[in-house]
Amino acid sequence: MIKVFNLYKSYGGIAPVLSDISFDIQDGEFVFLTGQSGAGKTTLFKVLFGWEKFDRGQILVGGINVGKLNEKNLYQLRRKVGFVFQDYKLLMKKTVFENVAFAQQIVGANMKTVRAKTWNALKNVGLVKKKDSYPSQLSGGEQQRVSIARAIVNDPELILADEPTGNLDSEISKEIFALFEKINQQGKTIIIATHSAEILRKKERRHLLLKRGKLLQS
Amino acid sequence: MNLFSFDFIKTTFSNIKSNKQLFSLSVATNFIAFTVLGIFFLLFVNLDILFSSWDKHIQLIVYLDDKISNPNKKKIELLFNSNDKIDSIFFVSRDQAWESFRGKFSSKSNFVTSLNFNPLPDSYTLRFASGPDRLKNIRDFSEKIKNENGVESVEYGEKWISRFEQFMIFLRGFILVFGVVLFSGMILIISNTIKLSIYSRKDEIDLMTLLGATHQYIKVPLLLEGILQGVSGSLLALVSVKLIHLYIVFWFQGSLESVFRGLEFQYLTKPIIFSVISTGIIVGVLGSSISANQFLHRHNSE
Ligand SMILES: Nc1ncnc2c1ncn2[C@@H]1O[C@H](COP(=O)(O)OP(=O)(O)OP(=O)(O)O)[C@@H](O)[C@H]1O
Ligand SMILES: [Mg+2]
Repeated sequence: MIKVFNLYKSYGGIAPVLSDISFDIQDGEFVFLTGQSGAGKTTLFKVLFGWEKFDRGQILVGGINVGKLNEKNLYQLRRKVGFVFQDYKLLMKKTVFENVAFAQQIVGANMKTVRAKTWNALKNVGLVKKKDSYPSQLSGGEQQRVSIARAIVNDPELILADEPTGNLDSEISKEIFALFEKINQQGKTIIIATHSAEILRKKERRHLLLKRGKLLQS
Repeated sequence: MNLFSFDFIKTTFSNIKSNKQLFSLSVATNFIAFTVLGIFFLLFVNLDILFSSWDKHIQLIVYLDDKISNPNKKKIELLFNSNDKIDSIFFVSRDQAWESFRGKFSSKSNFVTSLNFNPLPDSYTLRFASGPDRLKNIRDFSEKIKNENGVESVEYGEKWISRFEQFMIFLRGFILVFGVVLFSGMILIISNTIKLSIYSRKDEIDLMTLLGATHQYIKVPLLLEGILQGVSGSLLALVSVKLIHLYIVFWFQGSLESVFRGLEFQYLTKPIIFSVISTGIIVGVLGSSISANQFLHRHNSE
């Protein structure tokens, strides 16, 4: 699903934010990306997502050569990847249902498909009852689940979740991780960036460890 | 993907609705610009009609020398007859000319009746075939005949014709330059309106690109919004110029008739109406594309 070779990325400072990163992730894998704050987790996600450019190396995501994309065909990559943003990025003027449907509408799905898929995604994250609420009326965990529903509604092959439990207490965090496990069992490849060490200790999962831009463990 | 699907139109109208004042302001500004331009066009169209109606009455008068020799006279007549652009030739002898002159002016002026000799020369009045080159043909022929032996002078109101012609050329140039200025102004206004409209929905548009919307999907409603601004401005302007036209006809028809001699004061011609509306579309497309492209490129170079 993902192949990264000798990736370098800097924001113009002296030290690169990512340096000589190489790894492979197979279809259907569930991987944690860990490292201290500032290690470069978000940056790595952004590069994989075509949100930030990189300086050197090769990246293949679902068969797409990320370095070769220009802004006009970037959407091809974006449609393969569901991104769960750390700050949710929900539209405050839209209801839960509309927020999730939004992702469907902008890829040009017809009304019937939009309804069916949005309904499905909301069922998946257990938010059907809240479908007509506005984000401001939801708890943090519920908002997080809306953003997960939006990330999965277009059936992406890969899901990148950037600290999806960063702001949540450990009970809710467990629920969220359980949700990702369920999605993973439906066949999606998942990478979760987190520094929640407690979760990591319990789970026997592969994890990539970043330290100051270098990959210490893959 | 259907470019003009209901979805796009819905998005466009909801954008306009959430930025109503901005939209109206842009339409109003475009309306004013197009109206000013339309008034100049109205002026131009009617002066042009006036000019070509005068043009039809222009005839070349060739005055002969009193002492012209017969061979020279023959030669001149031959020149008239061999020019196929000349429609008709009238010879007016000096006696005939004097008769009609006295008939016209003797009641008004004692000076005319007190003259006991005839100061007028023989003359030919030439009418030229109508056509777009008519004035040029008259001009060319008068240049040629002027220097013939036995021709005293030629006359066709050259001075005022060329003055009027120059004025029309000036007016045309003025409208062109003025039009270009207004055109750029309108593009600027629309592009800024669209820019504000984009920034008022920045989060949403940013999210669209992150979720995999194509540029086309983002642009189409913005283009429609810009086109609507340009076209509404131009249509409203055409209506207001029509009202101005009706107003002038209603109040000034009497005094205009003496100038226009039976011609009616006209509204803009179809090609002009058509180009005003197309200009509305063009400024809309250009204005909104500028801002949409700027925004979309900014997004990925950040
Ligand atoms: N847009 C940017 N411009 C300049 N430097 C940046 C930018 N974004 C991140 N950085 C720097 O790059 C480094 C890695 O940041 P990044 O956000 O990838 O870390 P992270 O591992 O996600 O941290 P956290 O766990 O706190 O989210 C940091 O030193 C940060 O200051
Ligand atoms: Mg981060």
